[in-house]
This record gives sequence, C-alpha cells and structure tokens, in this order.
Amino acid sequence: MTGLLRYHWSSYIRSHRYIPPLTLFILTLVVNYAYKPNPIIASYSFTALMLFLLMGWFTITIFHAEDMGQQQITLMHAKSQTLYHVSLIFVCLFIAFCLSVLSTAYPIVFDTFGASVSPIHGLLGFLAHFSLATLSISLCVLFTRGIVRKKENTWWGVLFVLVLSIAVVTLKKSILPEAFIWFMPPLHLSLDMMSVEDTITSIPSLFYWQFGWIFLYGAVVIGLFFILLRKKQAF
Amino acid sequence: MHSLMELQNITKQFKGKQVIQEASLSILANQIVALIGKNGCGKSTLLKIIGGLARPDSGRIIKHKQPLKIGYVPEVTPSSIPFTPEQYLLHMGTISGISKQQLLDRIDLLLDLFQLDDVRQMKINSFSKGMKQKVTIMQAVLLETDVLLLDEPLSGLDLKAQKDVEEVLVTLKKKGVSVVLTCHETNLLEQATDKVLLIKDGEVKETNFLQNTENYKNRLVFEVSAQVLTEVLLKYIMIQQKTPLEEDLYKIEAIVHQEYTDHVLKELLYNDASIKQLVPISRSQEAFYQQF
Repeated sequence: MTGLLRYHWSSYIRSHRYIPPLTLFILTLVVNYAYKPNPIIASYSFTALMLFLLMGWFTITIFHAEDMGQQQITLMHAKSQTLYHVSLIFVCLFIAFCLSVLSTAYPIVFDTFGASVSPIHGLLGFLAHFSLATLSISLCVLFTRGIVRKKENTWWGVLFVLVLSIAVVTLKKSILPEAFIWFMPPLHLSLDMMSVEDTITSIPSLFYWQFGWIFLYGAVVIGLFFILLRKKQAF
Repeated sequence: MHSLMELQNITKQFKGKQVIQEASLSILANQIVALIGKNGCGKSTLLKIIGGLARPDSGRIIKHKQPLKIGYVPEVTPSSIPFTPEQYLLHMGTISGISKQQLLDRIDLLLDLFQLDDVRQMKINSFSKGMKQKVTIMQAVLLETDVLLLDEPLSGLDLKAQKDVEEVLVTLKKKGVSVVLTCHETNLLEQATDKVLLIKDGEVKETNFLQNTENYKNRLVFEVSAQVLTEVLLKYIMIQQKTPLEEDLYKIEAIVHQEYTDHVLKELLYNDASIKQLVPISRSQEAFYQQF
C-alpha cells in the first residue's frame, strides 16, 4: 500500500495536472482575502464551496494521471483493484487535507479577518473545508474511467453532480420532498451550519452530527463506487 | 520440456459473442508461443485469461508450479511515463512487494541485459518507442517471471526496434522464461517462435504454417518490352499486374510455378528483360497470410 501511495503521488506530481486547479484555488484565496476586514464564518463557507468544486478537478486528474496502458501494468503489480483505487482515494484525501489546512490558516496568518479568530472558528472552518472536499471526492469517483468509459461523460457527470449538490440548497426550500433531501449530497448542511454569526462561542452538538453525516454520506458513496467497479471490471 | 500451466475447455463471451470456445492449451517451459488470428478473434482475451486479468466463463486453469509468476505487457505501450527507468522499475517492484535491495540488484541485471544501462538516469518520456517497449518488458520480468505475456509487442515499432525486442525475447527464453505473445509480424513468428496457435471461430488450433516452407510457386517482378510477352511465354506465367513504364516498356508482376521458373528466367534474360524481384511462395505461407 505504501508503495502504491508513493507511486501515485509521484506520478501525479510529475504529470503537472494539478497546476490548473491549484492555481485557481490559490487565486480564490488571494482575491477573496485581498481586502480586509472579512467576515470569518462566511469567508470560510465560500472558500469551502470553492474547494468542493475544485476538488472534483483534482480527483479526476489524480485518477487519470496514468494512461490506460500504464494503469493495466500497475494493476497487475498491485494484484488488487481495490487496493489500487483505495490508494488513489488516499492521495485525493491527502490533497483535500492539505488544502483545507491552507484555506483555514491563510486568512489567520495574513490577518485578513475583522475580528479575532478563536479555535472554534478554526475548527469550524477546517471541518467545513475537509467535509465538503471529502464529499466532492466521493461524488466524483463515480465518474472516473473505471466506471464511465467515455472521457466527455466523465466531465459532464462531475459538473452535473457538483452543480446538483449546490442546487439542492435552493430546491429543498421549494420543490423537493423532505425524504428526498436525505438522498441528495448533503452540501446544504455545511452551508446551513456556516451561516451562523461570527460571535459563536461554542459548537452545538448538532453540528458534529451534521458534519458526521457528510463524512458518512461520502463513505457510503465510495462504497457504492467499489461495488460498481467490481461489476464493471473482469479483473 | 515440462508444462507450466494448462487451460482446459475455456470459453468466454464478449458483448454477447462467443470469442473463445472450448479452448485447451498447455504452456511449456522455455518456449515462445504465438497466438495469431484475425482482429477481434479473441487473441488478447485469451492472453488476459492466461494472465488472470480476465475470468473465463467456464473451463479450468491448472498451474503446475506454485507460485507461478506471470508478467504482462499490454498492447498499448504507455505514452507517458514520467520517471527514469530506474525510478519506474523501483516503483513497480515496490508495488509488487519486492524488497529494496533485491530490487536494486534485479534492476542492475535487467538494465544490463536489455542494454539500457547508459540511459538509466534519463526520463522514459524521451525514449524511442522501441526503448519504451523494452522498459515495459523489463517491468514484467522484475519478479523473475515464469511466464511472460505480451500483447502485440512489435506493433508500431520500426524494423530496428522490432529486431531489438525479438532479441530480448530470445534472450529471456534462454534465461528460462516462457513467452506467450499475440502478433502479426511474420519475421518474429518465423525466427523466434516455437509454436504458433491459430484462433479461428473461437477455437484454438496449433498450426505449422511456418515450418512447412516447401516452395511451389514464385512471385516474379520484371521489366520487359511488349514483343517479348509472346504466347509461348504467357503459357508459363500468370500475370497479376501489368504497368506501362514508357513507350513499349512494361513492369510485370506475375506468378510462375516452381518447375517453370528457370525456363522463364532464361527466356526473359535472353530477351533483355530486367529481373526486379523473385520471391518464393509456399502453400503454407499463402494459407498463413489469409489468416489476417
């Protein structure tokens, strides 16, 4: 597993495919915090939403960093399709973690908030980023080439599922039935939580449950990915 | 030669079509076996079944050696490998679970054997297709492989690279590796393979197309003036193509039976014709080329 992790990481870094989404993410941080003062929770909520969108780009490029011929070779050495894909998901999660830390720390380091930042703000900020990034990874793996054969369907699928997740925020208040909302990607829960005031002094226990649900939803979708993968592949 | 593995009554469907039907074959030690047949006949599928990359719908695979180490070289040579050969082989070997010291020794040996020692620090992306193919074969034999499977190993390579890969395969055979490959290239089939298996209508049959090279016709290309092509000469040759070159001069491509060849050649040379090519054709070769 360590060998696979090291190989996928080196292969991705050397492919340089991370440059466009990383550049966009850094630009988002720089532009968002160019002027101060900024609200704390609302700013974190916005950058978390941007990370949710850009993590789709990272995920697809990580999964497709190798070409098809090399993928067959690596699979042959790994001897397990599950292990091969689990290691790719770990690389995605590592990048999600690093960007979540960067996104939470950047405005604190450059002192761009109007009020002083408490550990509660920092924890909420990190959880908002990392939970949405994990959700994005889980949704986007369903459109990688192990499941979707046509390249163009990959990108349309990713775009559709990410936009749908955001659209649920508006639709849940109008047309979607309550029970249906539970099956939708729970991005809206993060946006609801991150609409609290900056004066928050403690994190309500409901927030932990809701963040927990986002992570659990992501884990279930990743489980679904492996079931679909087994059905699609002969290996 | 002892058998390394046997495939018994293997069947496989692909998109509703029966591509392999009750196929049985043995893979012997120190042997190069070629799988031939028309495009889409199931060569690559059979190769993947041998390698465990695809499951048969029915049938048995018996391995006479445990563990049987199988290396695989896919049809598509990776277009981009952003590592040096040393780094790449280290990664692949580590993923396979080989210890670092054992791996470093094996890489040194393989780089020397494949004559890539001079370029061990160069990026594979800058390599020619033939060199890239050598690297992909090297990754497949990192584990001191018993059986090496190659899907169209010479496709897209120039003649020099084809020759290099052919030499590599013969060297590996001498080192005790059994090779199973799919290919179209007759040079490789004629010079390096021990057994040729033909896949036709889902069935696998051993063929000796290339061992039986007894000539019975010749293909003759010559340039000659129209007057020479008398009725007497035309009795011995079957003209396939007649191309006018200049006034009263033609390029003729014809088939002539072995027994009449000397007579025809004498006649042509006596009449100032210019012989451009004389290629022997055997019945088996004629039949062989019809398989593609």
